[in-house]
Amino acid sequence: MSDKKLLLGSSPHTFSPVDTPRIMLSVVIALVPATAYGIYLYGLSALGVVVTSIVAAVLSEFVFRKIIKASTTVGDFSAVVTGLLLALILPPSTPLWMVALGAIFAIVVAKEFFGGLGANPFNPALIGRAFLLMSFPAAITTWTMPKGLPLAADAVSAATPLNLLKQGSTLADVANYFGASDVGTFYRQLFMGYRSGCIGESSILLVFLGGLFLLGIGVIQWIVPVSVLASTFVFSWLLGMDPLLGLLTGGIVFGAFFMATDYATRPMTAYGQALFGIGIGLITVLIRKYGGYPEGVTYAILIMNTLTPFLNKLRPKKYGFVPPPKPVKPSKEVAK
Amino acid sequence: MSIKTFKGGVHPPERKDRSQNMPIEKVASVPQVVIPVNQHFGAPIQPLVKVGEYVKAGQKIADAEGRMTVPVHASVAGVVKKIEPRMQSNNLEGLCIVIEPKEPPEGESAQEFMPPLDPFAVSKEEALARIRAAGIVGMGGAGFPAHVKLAPTKPILCVIANAAECEPYLTIDERTLIETPEKVVDGVAIVMKTVNAPEGVIAIEENKKHAIPYVQKAIEANPQVKAGMKIRIQELRTKYPQGGEKMLITAITGKQVPSGGLPMDVGCVVSNVGTLCAIVDAFRQGKPLIERGFTVTGGACKTPKNLVAPIGTLVSDLAKAGVVEIDEDALGKVIFGGPMMGVALPSYEIPVQKNTSGVLLMSKQEAVQYEEQTCIRCGRCIRACPTSISPALLAIAIESGNYAEAEKIGLLDCIECGTCSFVCPAHRHLVQRFRVGKQVLRALKQKEAQNVR
Repeated sequence: MSDKKLLLGSSPHTFSPVDTPRIMLSVVIALVPATAYGIYLYGLSALGVVVTSIVAAVLSEFVFRKIIKASTTVGDFSAVVTGLLLALILPPSTPLWMVALGAIFAIVVAKEFFGGLGANPFNPALIGRAFLLMSFPAAITTWTMPKGLPLAADAVSAATPLNLLKQGSTLADVANYFGASDVGTFYRQLFMGYRSGCIGESSILLVFLGGLFLLGIGVIQWIVPVSVLASTFVFSWLLGMDPLLGLLTGGIVFGAFFMATDYATRPMTAYGQALFGIGIGLITVLIRKYGGYPEGVTYAILIMNTLTPFLNKLRPKKYGFVPPPKPVKPSKEVAK
Repeated sequence: MSIKTFKGGVHPPERKDRSQNMPIEKVASVPQVVIPVNQHFGAPIQPLVKVGEYVKAGQKIADAEGRMTVPVHASVAGVVKKIEPRMQSNNLEGLCIVIEPKEPPEGESAQEFMPPLDPFAVSKEEALARIRAAGIVGMGGAGFPAHVKLAPTKPILCVIANAAECEPYLTIDERTLIETPEKVVDGVAIVMKTVNAPEGVIAIEENKKHAIPYVQKAIEANPQVKAGMKIRIQELRTKYPQGGEKMLITAITGKQVPSGGLPMDVGCVVSNVGTLCAIVDAFRQGKPLIERGFTVTGGACKTPKNLVAPIGTLVSDLAKAGVVEIDEDALGKVIFGGPMMGVALPSYEIPVQKNTSGVLLMSKQEAVQYEEQTCIRCGRCIRACPTSISPALLAIAIESGNYAEAEKIGLLDCIECGTCSFVCPAHRHLVQRFRVGKQVLRALKQKEAQNVR
C-alpha cells in the first residue's frame, strides 16, 4: 500500500452528468431558432438588443459578485439565459442603453440581491422587462413591422395584434393590417410568426419546437406549459374571447415554455406546478380582457411567482404514507 | 410476462460489462483472515476464542445471548493470532479476530460443520435455530439477522428473491443466477416453507434477462415445485434502487410498506440471492456462513472478476497474491459495496464481510468529486425520489433546523439510496444531509421522550 491519498466521502460515489451549466446551455440552444428568426425578421437592431442584453447580464453578474466578494458564477451560464430571455421579450427597436439597464436590473436587483441563482423569488428576465415597461412605457410599446410587411400609411410605428384588438378592431381588420387575406391565413401567419411583436416570441412554431426540445431532453416538464396553455385557452373561451387567437398572439407560448418553467420561481412539486400554470393562464386572460395593458403574461407569471413558496407545500404523498390516527371524539363519551 | 417497476428512481450507467461474463472464481488460499466480530445489525456479540487457540473452519468464534445477535464462525482452520480493533468495511474500527491458516494436527479434520438438516422435514423453530446457528445475515448489504427476518409475526403471502442487483458495477448475483440457479430456487423454497408462504417470486431486472432461462429451468427441475410449490420469475425494468426492499415489494405487488412498518406488514419477505444460497448451504451441508461471493471491479481494477472468498479475506492480500491486479497509479477511491450506497474506505487493507457484495476500485476519473453549488430548484430530486419525500424541500427544512417539518415531510422514511444526490445538477449533498438529519432527529426525539418522563 502506498502513501497515496484515496478519496473518501459519503455515498453516492457516482453522479449524473447533467449539471447546472449543461441545463442552462440547453435552454440557450432551445432558444437559438427563435432568436435567429427574430434577427432575420427585424434585422440588425434585434441582433443589437440580443447581444447587448447578454453582455450586460453576464458582466453585471460578474462585477456585482466581485464587489460583494462572492464566488464567480458566470460559468453556470444562468446570466446568459437571463440576458437572452430578456432580449427576446423586448421590442426590436428598444434603445440599447435601455436594454443594458434592464439586464443589469434583472441580474443585480432581481437575482443577486436575493442571493443569486436559485434564491430569487421572481423571474429576473420578467422583472427586467416589467422595470423597463414601467420606466419607459413608450419605448417598450413601440413595435416594428417584420421584414417585407409595409407599415400602415399614416402610422409612425406598428401595432401588435393584441394592441389592435384592445383598441376594438375586429379580427378581420387585424388580419388585413398584417396583409392576410382572411382570418384562416392570419392564424397560419401568426403561427409562423409573421407579425409585429417582441424579438423572440413571434414565431409560435419555433418557440414551440424549442419547448419540445427542452421537454424531450427532460430539462423542463410538461405540467407547467400544458397547464398554462390549457388554462389560457379555457379562460379565454369562458370570457368570450377567441381562445385560439389567445394562444397564437402575445407571449403566452413563449411564457409557458421559457418563463413559467424557470426553476427558481416555479413550484417544485407536481400539484403546485399545475395550480401555478392554471393561475398564470387565468391572470393573463383577466389582464387581456379587463386590464389596462393589451398583454398580461409578464405580470401573470410575476404574480404567480409570489405564490410559489406556498404552492411548494402541495407535496406528493410520501411512500407508505399512513394517515395519522384520528383523535377519539370526546362527544361519544358524553353520549353514553 | 409483463415487466414491472416502481415510481421514481434513476438509471445510472450500468458498467457491469467488465465482470458480468467472468465465472465465479474460488479463492484457494489466503495468508490470513481478519474476521470482524460484529457483522450484523443488532446487539453486539463477544469473542469465544483466545489468542493462540486452534480453530477449525466453521467453528463458532463469537456469539452472545439475545434475539438480535448472530454468531460468527472461523472461515479458515488455523491459529488465532490476534484479537484487536481493526478497520472494518463500514469505515469504523471494530474488534476483529485474526486467524492464520494452519494444517490441523494429525488425524483431525480441518472442518467443523453442523450435520446436514432436511429443511422440509423440520419444524419452523428448528429451521430458524439452524439459520441462526449458521450465522446468516442479510447479504445484500444491510446485515439484518436472517432468523429474525424469517420469523414474521404476520402471515406472509409472498417470498421475494432479490436478484434485482440494481447497483451499477456489481455482477455477483447475476453470475450466481447463471451458475447455480438450482441453489437460488432451493433457497426460495426453503424460505417459503419456513415462513409458510404460498408464493415465491424471483425478481430479475431486464438487464439480466439472459439469466432467466437458467432460472426457469431450475424452477421446473425443483422437487418442491414439482410437488406443487408456486415459484415464478418476475422481470423488472432496470432501475435504481429497485433492489431496495421497499421498492422491490412495490414493484412486484403494487403495495407500499407502511411508513415505519416492515415488509411483513404487506405480507412479504425479501431475501437477497446470496442470503438464499447461504441458507441452502446451512441446511444441505451444515455449513455456516464462512465464505461469500462478491464482485471486484472498477476502473482501477485490471482484473475485474467475481470471487468467492473466506469471510475476513483482506483485499490487500488478494492483491498481493495476484488474484486481483490493482492499478495503483489510477486508483482514486476504494468502495465496499456499489457506487450508489457503498462505503468509501481509506485503504484496501479491509476484510470482506458477510455483507460485502462488491469491492469497487474506482479510478481517479471515475471518482470525480464535485463542489456543492446552490440549489437551482429544478425538482429533479423530487421526481426521482422513490419514497416521494421531496428531497429539495426536506433539505431546506433540515438546513433551517426545522426538524418538526423535516419529520412531517418524511425524513425518517428516507431509505438513503442516494438517488437525489445522483441526479442533482448542483451536486447538492442531499442524502448526506438526510443521514445526519436522521440521527439528529432521533436524538431530539429521545431527549423529548426523556423530558416527558
